[in-house]
Amino acid sequence: MSGSNTKVKTGVAGRADGTFSFEGLGLTVVLLGIIVIFSFINPRFFAVENFLNILTQAAPFIIMAVGMTFVITAAGIDLSVGSILALSSVIGFEFMSSGGNPVIGVAIILVVAVALGILNGALIAYLAIPPFIATLATMVSLRGLALLHSAGTMHFGLPESVAFLGQGKVLGLPMPVLIALLAALFGYWLLNFTKFGVYCRALGGNKEALRLTGVSVKRVELLVYGFMGLMVGLGGLVMIARIDSTQATIGTGSEIHVIAAVIIGGTSLFGGKGTVYGSVAGAILLSMVANALVIGGADFFWQLVVTGIIVLFAVLIGNLREGRVSMSKVPSFLKMKS
Amino acid sequence: MGATELLKLSKLNKWYDGLHALQDVSLTIGEGEVVALVGDNGAGKSTLVKIIAGAQTSDDGEISLRGEATTIGSPKDASNLGIAALHQSLGLVGSLNVFENIFLGREETRSIGPIKVLDKKKMRDRAIELLGELAIDVPRLGVPVLSMSGGQRQCVAISRLLLDQVNLILMDEPMAALGVAEGQKVLDLIVRLKDKGVSILIISHNLEHVFSIADRIAVLKNGRMIGTVSPKNVTRTDVVKMITTGENIESEGAAQ
Repeated sequence: MSGSNTKVKTGVAGRADGTFSFEGLGLTVVLLGIIVIFSFINPRFFAVENFLNILTQAAPFIIMAVGMTFVITAAGIDLSVGSILALSSVIGFEFMSSGGNPVIGVAIILVVAVALGILNGALIAYLAIPPFIATLATMVSLRGLALLHSAGTMHFGLPESVAFLGQGKVLGLPMPVLIALLAALFGYWLLNFTKFGVYCRALGGNKEALRLTGVSVKRVELLVYGFMGLMVGLGGLVMIARIDSTQATIGTGSEIHVIAAVIIGGTSLFGGKGTVYGSVAGAILLSMVANALVIGGADFFWQLVVTGIIVLFAVLIGNLREGRVSMSKVPSFLKMKS
Repeated sequence: MGATELLKLSKLNKWYDGLHALQDVSLTIGEGEVVALVGDNGAGKSTLVKIIAGAQTSDDGEISLRGEATTIGSPKDASNLGIAALHQSLGLVGSLNVFENIFLGREETRSIGPIKVLDKKKMRDRAIELLGELAIDVPRLGVPVLSMSGGQRQCVAISRLLLDQVNLILMDEPMAALGVAEGQKVLDLIVRLKDKGVSILIISHNLEHVFSIADRIAVLKNGRMIGTVSPKNVTRTDVVKMITTGENIESEGAAQ
């Protein structure tokens, strides 16, 4: 058998999803456009300090969005990230603030978060509970446990070495930004250059096809939610280190923020396709908009309104791109005039 | 059956919630033999293929490979026995690209210290080689297979089967989504595989295709094996009669 007459183009080297450049470029252009517009509206926006501030605020959400990219790519969802963040951080914080070893304290936060993530994965993989229901249940129950553990208690006083993770700087860059950057790079590598990343995309794209190859689908699901837990633990660690405090209500609503960042980034809600770069850009975009609204003196509640609208537009653009709706069905008042 | 026995199925039974989908089904496939499995919708063809592929298990019956009793409890078991399956759904992931689909579950990796990363270059080169054996063009190896034509997707799915050393290839309607030219290429490929000593069990509704490639034709009706016939000894009308009436025209071999 000869392949001499076969024409095969080798495609986009190094890009497993083949769509990275398009979505990344589009969102980058949107981000730059927003920077230009906001800078014109309020010159205070266009300052290095302000950008670092935006990135620092976005850092915990970037880290968690990396984990959520895997979950949504695998056709799942995790509504419990805020509750996992709260429970793992109050347990670890209490240990450290009462004189416990900082390394062990950090390990406690990460291990508890991973264990709770794996719990979600087990409910979904082994008890066949739909991800939305499973994580809705754990969202409520884990928040309840966090409140039972330390309702009304504000924990203060982290060891300096741990607070450094949220407040320190290396080469002029805030630690949260550096940690978020490392988490994003790790997530990009994991999704595009490892078996786990391929299985994660296959799980969301065609679960049956993955099962037929002999890969343990349940194990992949368990690992996806375990990794989500790890990212929540890390994101939570950065969050509490930055404000040097935590309480049982910390992270309330953060699941919406994280899911929104991933959707805005272009990861398909129907699974199979995900982009870590997009999720990072989505998280930055949300923080940038929030920052601009604060600088502009808008009420906090406008952030919620604007976030919701951005998510709706992001999903609409995704549906148009994937052909789920045609432009002919989009009301004329929503179409851009050229 | 003239060839040396490769796979023997004896009195397989399968129930689905009270439905007796396979009833004492027996079949023997020889080394390098092409056996076509025909029958009406609901005859049990796909169920039988899934059991051999390890995607489902039979409730009763025995399977032996080259005379040795074996169990196929999972796709991995089937793969270890050199049995590869091309399912009706093709078993492809639309969002993965060509070589990711070809290597799904069997990815090539390289080590960087203790860490294993995908060896994309190796997989891409091997994919080009495999697709070359099919002599069919695909647009790009890096694009999701969802964006490819049905025929191109079929080619990707078939090339997956050639990745490992296989004894038996199971094909469920491999030409169904193909145009005439691409369908002919698949038929040619089946002949080439047979020449290499690979056995093939193929499900097809197209009797023209069946008669052009099969050494034997096995007819199923309502979960029962009606019989196996040689295309040299029967006409298409005879086979249609077996499919519709369940009446055996010419029984051969021990499998019936």
